Amino acid sequence: MRKQSTQLLVIGGGATGLGIAWDACLRGIRVVVVEQGDLGQGTSGRYHGLLHSGARYVISDPVSAQECALENAVLRRIAPATIEDTGGLYMACPGDPADWPDRWLTACRQLDVPVEEIEPAEALRREPLLNPQIERVFTTRDAALDSFDLLHMLTHSIRAGGGQVWLRHRLDRLIVDNHRVVGAEITSLNDGEKIILEADLTVNATGPWAGLVARLAGIEIPIALGRGSMVAVAARLIHTVVNRCRPPADGDLIVPVGTVAVFGTTDTHVEDPADTRTEAWEVDKILKTGAEMIPSLPQHRPLRVWAGVRPLYRPEQADAEQTRALPRAHTILDHAERDGIDGLVSIFGGKLTTYRLMAEHAMKVVCRHLNVTAPCRTADTPLESGAKSYHTLPGRLARVEPQAPPETPPQIICECELIPRGDLEAALRAVTPLELDDVRRDLRLGMGPCQASFCAYRAAGIAHETLSSVPQDGGLGGFLQERWRGIRPLGWGHTLRQMELMRRVYLELFAAQDLMGEEAAQ
Amino acid sequence: MIQPNLTADLCLKCNICTAACPVAAATDLFPGPKAVGPQAERYRHPRLPLPDASVMWCSACGVCSRVCPHDVKVAEINTQAKARLVEERGAPLRDRLISNTELIGRLGTPLAPIANLSLRTRPVRWIMEKTIGIHREAPMPAYAGSTFRARMRRYCVEKPPEQNDASRVTVAFFHGCSTNYYEHELGRITIAVLEKLGCRVILPPQTCCGLAMQSNSLFEDARRQAQQNVALLLPFAEAGIPIVGTSTSCLLTMKYDYQATLGLSGREVELVAAQTFDVFEFITTRLRETLDGLTFEPLASRAIYHASCKLRSHDVGVPTLPVLRRIPQLEVTLSEAECCGGAGTYGMKREKYDVARQVGSPLFEQAREWGADFVISESETCRWWIAKHTRLPALHPIGVLYRAMK
Amino acid sequence: MTSLLVVGAGLTGLFAAVLAARRGASVTVVARGRGNLELSHGCIDVWKADPPLAQTINHLPDTHPYALAGFEALEAALAAFCQITTEADYPFTAGPEDSLLLPTALGTIHVTAYAPLSLAQGHMADKTPFVLAGLSGFRDFYPALAASSLKRAGLPVEGTVELPVPGAPLRRDGYATDLAYLFDRPASRQQIARVWKPLLAGAKRVGLPAVLGLRQSSAVFLEMQERLGLPLFEIPTLPPSVPGLRLERILRRTALNAGVQIVEGVPAVGQAGEGSRVRGVVVESAGRSRFHEAGAVLLATGDVLGGGLETTPDGRVRETVFDLPVLHDGDRARWINPALLDEQPFERFGLRVDRHMRPLGMDGTTVYDNLYAAGSLLAGADRINEGSRQGIALVTAFCAVEAVLG
Repeated sequence: MRKQSTQLLVIGGGATGLGIAWDACLRGIRVVVVEQGDLGQGTSGRYHGLLHSGARYVISDPVSAQECALENAVLRRIAPATIEDTGGLYMACPGDPADWPDRWLTACRQLDVPVEEIEPAEALRREPLLNPQIERVFTTRDAALDSFDLLHMLTHSIRAGGGQVWLRHRLDRLIVDNHRVVGAEITSLNDGEKIILEADLTVNATGPWAGLVARLAGIEIPIALGRGSMVAVAARLIHTVVNRCRPPADGDLIVPVGTVAVFGTTDTHVEDPADTRTEAWEVDKILKTGAEMIPSLPQHRPLRVWAGVRPLYRPEQADAEQTRALPRAHTILDHAERDGIDGLVSIFGGKLTTYRLMAEHAMKVVCRHLNVTAPCRTADTPLESGAKSYHTLPGRLARVEPQAPPETPPQIICECELIPRGDLEAALRAVTPLELDDVRRDLRLGMGPCQASFCAYRAAGIAHETLSSVPQDGGLGGFLQERWRGIRPLGWGHTLRQMELMRRVYLELFAAQDLMGEEAAQ
Repeated sequence: MIQPNLTADLCLKCNICTAACPVAAATDLFPGPKAVGPQAERYRHPRLPLPDASVMWCSACGVCSRVCPHDVKVAEINTQAKARLVEERGAPLRDRLISNTELIGRLGTPLAPIANLSLRTRPVRWIMEKTIGIHREAPMPAYAGSTFRARMRRYCVEKPPEQNDASRVTVAFFHGCSTNYYEHELGRITIAVLEKLGCRVILPPQTCCGLAMQSNSLFEDARRQAQQNVALLLPFAEAGIPIVGTSTSCLLTMKYDYQATLGLSGREVELVAAQTFDVFEFITTRLRETLDGLTFEPLASRAIYHASCKLRSHDVGVPTLPVLRRIPQLEVTLSEAECCGGAGTYGMKREKYDVARQVGSPLFEQAREWGADFVISESETCRWWIAKHTRLPALHPIGVLYRAMK
Repeated sequence: MTSLLVVGAGLTGLFAAVLAARRGASVTVVARGRGNLELSHGCIDVWKADPPLAQTINHLPDTHPYALAGFEALEAALAAFCQITTEADYPFTAGPEDSLLLPTALGTIHVTAYAPLSLAQGHMADKTPFVLAGLSGFRDFYPALAASSLKRAGLPVEGTVELPVPGAPLRRDGYATDLAYLFDRPASRQQIARVWKPLLAGAKRVGLPAVLGLRQSSAVFLEMQERLGLPLFEIPTLPPSVPGLRLERILRRTALNAGVQIVEGVPAVGQAGEGSRVRGVVVESAGRSRFHEAGAVLLATGDVLGGGLETTPDGRVRETVFDLPVLHDGDRARWINPALLDEQPFERFGLRVDRHMRPLGMDGTTVYDNLYAAGSLLAGADRINEGSRQGIALVTAFCAVEAVLG
């Protein structure tokens, strides 16, 4: 059992938690972030990739809308390398409420969310696969943001700024002493070590787990969990973010993120923050409404499904079951004021787009408690390298395309996602004990069309060559099983072919049943 | 017809195309059709410049599309990517020149003796290589000195004739640039064989099919050429007259690439495509009975038959082989090679010549080991290329048939 | 007219075509692409469990393809297969009591009935200690990974070694096929052997990834053994699988030499029939559909991966050429089990056939008199758990040809 102390303990390493920790670093506060899983394993890593312009919320949630519009510009300044500047289109399909576009347009103007109406023909020229019968269409400043990149940049910046980020560390209990949270008991899932971390102030930024964490201090918070599923399609059918111009509903957005197009989302009430299943009706619904925007969608291959659980603030009078209608704005609870428990602040809700603003607001409360007067600098301090240009789609391909032919093979390990061996080795060394799924989150290993059918074997082999301690199967079994899980809800047509190919290669060509079964059982 | 780049998401990454690709087998400069095709396509943005020039090594032989079990249009994806690259970066003067086969034919014909002599003169070829980049060893055909059409005026028609003789099939002969400007003998033989098989042959108005422009990624030029050609041939297609020829690559372009690669659509293009046939495709299907009834003279010799990749892409198999095998004393072996390497204008280029030769070397080797007396191949550029590298005479299969039919 | 039209050019289709052609039938094979042999280990799996099939076959449900075909037919089919491969100088060996225990690239054991010589020499009943060799720069084989599991299973792995391969691709990543083409060249073999010999000093037996030649692989393998003065064995690795491609190539060449017409690149999309007989199959070819007429049709189109079965989100499973009734579960939620390693219900979907390999309708009677089906398209077997894919392919092809030709 190790003892450590810090000024600020942030529980939860999603965008909110990391955003708070970075803000704290810049104000000279000593901070430790404790995250139960790998970077991006929580809700921040399960998002649809949309950098909101705010247009989506101008009528249903004007506060969110304005915040999004402002933060959209800020993020472009501080983390351009995570953003692909796709622009956005809002389109009204046949059958959508005819009065909505004008109401929406008015609201956009009032809230200073920049939008512009264009001719449907112009939209179709830009995006030929859109429904040719769209009636009205507008351009917006929506963009695509890679949340894994963002989380990495934040983590890197925090560590460079003197803060600590502990991944795969589980919170066992909050230490409450005389109505004050003074710290936490933590277990490292890497090596089993137990740590007592004392802190002047603890922030509960655990997203959907916020309720469970607050309960560790005997506090009930009004949180509802809304699970949202998304489907990625293997081809990037559009290069612009597309939103449906109607009251927000299931399945009305499409985001080009990297090499795929993400269709989503749904919103179902769940009880368990770890409930990231996707049910068949959700897949069917997403693909059905998606086809209203892109009629040729049934001809294309859905690649994978995943779900994220949204933590939503549930006002007293609201119906927890109807999570779609709950406000998306963030909530900060100072438990000293609200519950008489000092030393703990909870923050949940909000959107990834406004993570920085959420952090800034949370820090107002934190700084009051810690007596820190330094101002917030996150809006003007670029993250990581502060690259000047936006991330572009051809970027990865350009990096592996030799200008002058090299003299040694590039050793591209994941061909779908163009990942060279050097990157893989570095990522393998950083993940102990080995979890290829964590490596996947770092590099996008196995996230392409073949869903690791080929690179899983290579990665396992390289793990054996690179690491001194490695499971018998090199991490293959667990990794492939994770891939299987996410494609199973799409198990028909072409996806079923891919799944069969995976089985043929690993279970016939490699006869791996016993090997992978053993590891899975352990 | 589905756009090729939208078939990229059908790719399961099985690599069967890479295993079959003759260019990838010959050089490590080419990443392979899967890599530059469906794999890279995911990273190509319609409005941003293409980052990958390595796709230019693709010779457009089409094997990849043919072997793909999942309907990915690999070759078409590659060809379209090349066209975008050329649109962005421009094409060298050489490519514009050699792709304009009609123009080269017309300009050289009145100057035939000089042109033919120069093209066989080392210093001239050396200068050509240094200036415009045509490899000095690249085989070039000899000008005939006049056009086939001029020699065959009696067959030329302006419009579809009345078809009042039910016992004879009227066939519109698409001669293409190579027969028109260079290989008159082949044209004469083809007409003779078709007539012997009971056809009435006419020469419709026609122009260059545009394949060389498409292969050199000059899609605007190719489309213009295609539309002109379709307009000229349309009345014949509408009259139900089959359009038949010996330049199998040209016919494939009209039958398939106009729509699938160049993206043209509409009734006219479709009608012409529906009536377009490679000559052996035609005679083994529509003239089957007559063909089966013929007796052949013996041709005691050994030949290697290279069914060119463009013939295979007609998707009719290799209809020539059983016919050749009926010829007494002719021992024909089928080439194992997917591609002879020449690939139209690909092998003419200074920077591609050596790779092209590597691609074809298993075929040249097989010809040598088989002890072939001559080579048989449908495509004229294949014949010129293989003849050059094996030093053997190269005949179109219809030429072999003609000799056996005497 | 074609007496037998085979749809599908995988192991089943090509084997059937060879058998039929050698018995004098005129055979045409039409295929969407080249089949899934490229994904396979290139061996013949018959039945991997204990007790051996000879004892269990009578207890199999009578819808299982082995039960329908019978043990005698299986033996005859395997004998015919071995004869074909022996004639092609690529002999297959059987293990004692039909079980070879071959190491895989993951270090597990693949139980198979017949394997080509270069793979069969890896039979782990041979207790000679061995070294596993990886090839520098080759990203598709990792000896440390394999050695770890083999060692834990108590097998005599002495260690691993890395062997450089002069001539391997440098400017891009090489696939197993690239290395295999290298080994097809005598000069390369010589050079490689010279480099390897000192690095293998002290080894008693060496296991390598399967890259020793694609075209004349037996001779190449034996030559390398001789040059190195050591027993070798090959291990199939990540696709494109060279042993699978060797087998595919041999069957295809054998078929072509036996006079089979192979038309690649043509998905079969429909059929024409009259009453109780099929007249032929419609395929999509360049520019147009074509109808292939035949006296009998054999569907060897495979399962969902082969393209013989198509599945849709509403729970339907369609046989893609004739729309024959498919044994399947109409509830999509029950098709796939949650774990990759679980038995998967969808893998049992397929056609029900009678003892003559003729597809049965919903009422249990044959749909057409002259239509047959074989291979992975058939229902009733759990090929992955049974280890029966190639055995079923061969015996059902054999039975179908018997039924067609009498």
